[in-house]
Parts: sequence; structure tokens; C-alpha cells
Amino acid sequence: MASSVILRSTLPRTFTSATGRNSLRFALQVRAASSTTQYVPGGPILKGTVNDPTEFPPPSRTHGSYHWAFERLLAASLVPMTAAAFVTSGSSYPVFDGLLGLSLVMHSHIGFDSMVVDYVHKRKFPVLGPILTWTLRSATVGVLVGVYQFNTNDIGLTELIAKVWTA
Amino acid sequence: MQVLAKTARASAPRFCMRSFASSAERCQATPIEKPVLNKEFKIYRWNPDEPANKPTLQSFTIDLNQTGPMILDALIKIKNEIDPTLTFRRSCREGICGSCAMNIDGQNTLACLCRIDRNPSKNSKIYPLPHMYIVKDLVPDLTLFYKQYKSIKPYLQNDNLPEQGEFLQSQEDRKKLDGMYECILCACCTTSCPSYWWNQDEYLGPATLMQAYRWIADSRDSYGAQRKEQLQNEMSMYRCHTIFNCARTCPKGLNPAEAIAKIKLELAAD
Repeated sequence: MASSVILRSTLPRTFTSATGRNSLRFALQVRAASSTTQYVPGGPILKGTVNDPTEFPPPSRTHGSYHWAFERLLAASLVPMTAAAFVTSGSSYPVFDGLLGLSLVMHSHIGFDSMVVDYVHKRKFPVLGPILTWTLRSATVGVLVGVYQFNTNDIGLTELIAKVWTA
Repeated sequence: MQVLAKTARASAPRFCMRSFASSAERCQATPIEKPVLNKEFKIYRWNPDEPANKPTLQSFTIDLNQTGPMILDALIKIKNEIDPTLTFRRSCREGICGSCAMNIDGQNTLACLCRIDRNPSKNSKIYPLPHMYIVKDLVPDLTLFYKQYKSIKPYLQNDNLPEQGEFLQSQEDRKKLDGMYECILCACCTTSCPSYWWNQDEYLGPATLMQAYRWIADSRDSYGAQRKEQLQNEMSMYRCHTIFNCARTCPKGLNPAEAIAKIKLELAAD
């Protein structure tokens, strides 16, 4: 019973005329079924009564602690890897050079992905959200392919930076 | 002037005998006349009865020397003497109920604990808690905040009741709760968190998460694993990006960011 009740906030709603910008916003912010609140101007529509607690999404360690731990370890390991790249040269340790390239790309992917989740999550932006997520994924794959090509057929990442550094 | 008043008061018992009310009041000390110290307060106003009108900042000027020291005193004075329609929550006036949380000069704090800046050339701007739906003037809609607080089951859960008496706790275990149980749920930290601004329907916010850890850390509670399992998802806790606005703004001097960091560490160590 309780879950079927839709709590109307105490706020009266203002209906503004849908100008171009507003209607675009509405189109992008169509409600996703899993969301707990509906995005409408003037006030929230909450699920359940005021006395019902909010619900948790199904637990998933991949999206929770594993993701967090991986992210932190990756970020921390980039520090000694960058320092090591200064000391050694990329051509004598090609595997290490490739590892550095891979870590850098993954680190930036996680960073950008976190921006997408924060600001254009698909529950709020059902159209724009997935578009950006897949743009990011394809960009990451493209960059990975590029780094692989560059490291195998050209001078490699570390050598490039050393070259630019002394140029 | 002050010296005169002082000597008059000091010599009063000597000259002053019980006299009629109509007697000359030469023996009474003259009150110190304080100069007028006008200060401008700019207060956010929005009336739900006129939803078409945009929110505005309304300016009030009051004499600080006729007002108490705190922002809440100024608000009450304005409501009593200038504009009775000014709406805000207040109750205890001593920082223990959390009702008068608002954004004062850009900082979320309790109006009753925030001193008025006595510089008359600078105005004070008072807004409701940021990024909340407004019921009226300085009153935000905290329904979702309380629903989220309820979702973490903020009460002792333990199936193994002690055979007799109460749950006992060592002094060290009790000390773990210091800095967390003092939270008054004023929502200052939660509404100062940019992550909460963008994702408040899914992210729990610092106040709720600190209370979640308050029950995870409690040695008498046996549901720690379930409590932690609930937070294992992308949104509920991991939208915290350690911005530390919560620790900076807390009017009680608590550190929600530290509690969230401890939950993350415990989840990672699981």
C-alpha cells in the first residue's frame, strides 16, 4: 500500500511557460522508472509517505567497494610509475611503458566516468546520459588502440614526453 | 558619562532610602545611552501564496545595540518589530535543536550560534539552506533528508539480547561514538555538499552517512554487515568525493568526512 502512495510535497507548483530552453530540459529530464523522485519544476514528488524510508539500490560490490579500491590503488600506483618513467627510458622497458599508458588511460576514464555519473546520470538525462557514457567508452577504446599503436610502431609514450621536454 | 553612571550606582545605597514611587529619582543610576549602530540584513523572501513572483532579497535595517548578539536575535527582532510575515524555523536558541539552520553570509550554520558581524558598513545576507526546495522564506523542505535518515535504520539492532540487564560497552568502544552521537541533524553539512546538490535523490549525504557509521561503529549493534552491504552501490555513499565542505561547515564542530572515510575503509577491507 505504502509504496503505491505518491507523496506530494507541500510546495505548490509553478507552471512556467515552456520556453525553448525549458522544453529541452524537460525532454532531457524525462523520468526514469527507477528513480526515487520525479524531476518536475516546483517541488519533488517523493515515493511513499513522509514516514517511509528511501530505498537502497541492489548491492553490488563491483560498483561499490571494489570500484573504489581499484580507483585508489590505480591513482596511488601512478605516482611511483611516473617517477620510474623519469629514471628509465621507454625503449629499454617497453612493457613498463605500455603499463604506464594503460594506467593513465584507465585513470582518466574513471575520472571522466565519475563526472558523467555526477552530472549527467541517465536517471536524470535518459537521452544525454547514455550518449555521453558510450562516447566516453568509445573514446577510451580509441585512445587505448592509439597508445598501443604508438608504443609498438613508434617511439612510445615515455620517449615522446622526454623528447617534448628537451625540445 | 560612564564614570558618572558608575559613581551614581556606587553611591546609591548610601543616599537612597526607601521612598515613594513619585519621589525624585536622583538616586537612580542613569542607563548608559548606547549609540545607534544600524546594520543592514538582506534576507531571502519567497511566498508560496504568490508562486509567480520570483524569490527576492529583502533588506531590513536594525539597530544592533538594541538586538541580541546572534543572527537569530536579529531575525526575531525583525519578525517582532518590522515584518511579522518573515518565516523561519527556530526553537531552542542554543544550538541543540538544529531548527534554525540557514545559509548566513555564504556559510551554512545555525542562526542561534552565529554571531552578528558588528561591522555596520557590511550587510549580512541570509538565505535558506542551499539547493533545497523552499516551503517559505527561510524554511526548506527537509522531507527527503528525514526519509534518508530513516533508511539507514538509526536505532540499535541486535538479536542476541543480554540475558539480564542492559548491553554493556567498554569505555574504549564508547569513545568510538564520540564526535558522531552529537549530531543534531540540522542538515548544514548535507546541504553544503555539492554531490548532494546534484544527486540528492540517490546520494545519502554526509549527515546520514555519519549516522550510518555511528551504528556500524557501535559495539552493541550486531547488524554492521547488513548496514555496510546497503552502501555497496554506486550512489548511496560513493558519490562522496571528499570535498570536506561538511567538516568545514558543521556548526557543532563534527567531522562527517572522517566518518565516511572510515566506512569506505571498512568496506574496502571487507
